[in-house]
Amino acid sequence: MEPTTEQTEHAVFAEAHDPEEPKEQVFVTDDLHVYYGDFLAVRKVDLEIAKNEITAFIGPSGCGKSTVLRCFNRMNDLIESARVRGRVDYHGIDLYGSGIDAVEVRRRIGMVFQKPNPFPKSVYDNLAFGPRISGVKKKSELDDIVESSLRRAALWDEVKDRLKSSAMGMSGGQQQRLCIARAIAVEPDVILMDEPCSALDPIATGKIEELMEEIKTEYTIIIVTHNMQQAARVSDRTAFYSVEVNETSDTRTGILVEYEETDKLFTNPNDERTERYVTGRFG
Amino acid sequence: MTDELRSEFHQQLDEIQRGIASMSAGVTELVPRATDILLEMDLEGAEYVILGDDEYDGRAIELEELCFKVIALQQPVASDLRAVMSAVKIIADVERSADLCVNICKAARRIYSHELDAHLRGIIHKCGKQAALLFKEATEAYLASDGLRAAALHDMDAYLDDLHRQFIQVIFESHAAGNIDLQVAVQLAVVARFYERIGDHAVNMGDRTRYIVDGWIPEQPYPESDNDLTNTSSSTTT
Repeated sequence: MEPTTEQTEHAVFAEAHDPEEPKEQVFVTDDLHVYYGDFLAVRKVDLEIAKNEITAFIGPSGCGKSTVLRCFNRMNDLIESARVRGRVDYHGIDLYGSGIDAVEVRRRIGMVFQKPNPFPKSVYDNLAFGPRISGVKKKSELDDIVESSLRRAALWDEVKDRLKSSAMGMSGGQQQRLCIARAIAVEPDVILMDEPCSALDPIATGKIEELMEEIKTEYTIIIVTHNMQQAARVSDRTAFYSVEVNETSDTRTGILVEYEETDKLFTNPNDERTERYVTGRFG
Repeated sequence: MTDELRSEFHQQLDEIQRGIASMSAGVTELVPRATDILLEMDLEGAEYVILGDDEYDGRAIELEELCFKVIALQQPVASDLRAVMSAVKIIADVERSADLCVNICKAARRIYSHELDAHLRGIIHKCGKQAALLFKEATEAYLASDGLRAAALHDMDAYLDDLHRQFIQVIFESHAAGNIDLQVAVQLAVVARFYERIGDHAVNMGDRTRYIVDGWIPEQPYPESDNDLTNTSSSTTT
């Protein structure tokens, strides 16, 4: 079935009747393109990420969802050939403008990776690492930060008696929550998560998802996930990316197909390509 | 690029749809049969329909279980989710409509040997025909995932509602003329209601079909249309 204009208008209508006030936007991207050398990895992404919401990025491999995620804290800077065209505004400030300190950007916009990556140090030192760099020296102050970060990451009760033991001895799920706690410890504004649960079992995954729901009142979260059910469970809005194959050059470019409230996207998506992807009719 | 990643799951969805359509086609035939039984005072036929209802109940349960299994094991989303959730509701509509046919047959047994005048017979025939027509359309629209045919059911039902009112009027007149006694009049009024309900179930099926096709939900006006177009109770649209 082809998507009709009627359906599209339908969605607009539903939104127009949303009684809620317009949300504050944390990120606004405008005509965002990402290149690796000459290769166009992602084309024309226009997104608005609302404050205190969880936004999920889904799509097949190579669709550019992680690439776009990494634009939000300038992690792409670390890849030599990567180049960004278009704008990424963070609270109205051009993230790629001149005079922007990428390190400060990454302090405000934390990241959690696919594989838990605690430092080979004690639990305590993992959490105190960031605050120490930011200049916190007093032991009592660091203690407070460590405890409150662990509490917010729902990890305090599990590790309070072994703060001095190595973080490497924790389970995978605990390590990942430690990484979230470590991200929280520097009091960021946004937490980016790149497939944070793909190496975890369902129980550990459940704990992370519960944690995301709890901390979203304080942070804005963007999560890249291969698990569509996870996107459906945790996110408020979902962006579906797909791959466009250029026949002549045989290159694949990621495109943003649909960005919609999650319940709408998983019950009645606007775009036929989204429909085909989420129902598994498209490989 | 493959076209189909979850073929077994989608086969199960097709199986559910075909199962419901087949059950619903059975009810489509049951409606005129119940009408004939009522008009011909066919006691044997009535018995057959009443006993045969277990078959519908059993199939309804089987199909429902298949839906639950698909939800639990396949986590359907988007149009697949709409199809399964609608299927559960449509199964109930079809099963209930079979019950209503049984009720008509039971009413036939209750008024057995009472003569019905030509007016009554005429209106019963019309009601039965229109209810069967609605059910046939609802079934075919569902099987073909045809939102336009499904959308026409509201207006078809408006005609059945008119017939229902006429039926009640004819019952009053026949009773007033002394052609039927009060017991029979009451039974026939209930039968009129049964036909009207069968039509409503067909309309429900149509609404569910539209929901499957494009996510349309009843009582939710289309944004671009004037309200008259979607005000189904006014039934004056073409």
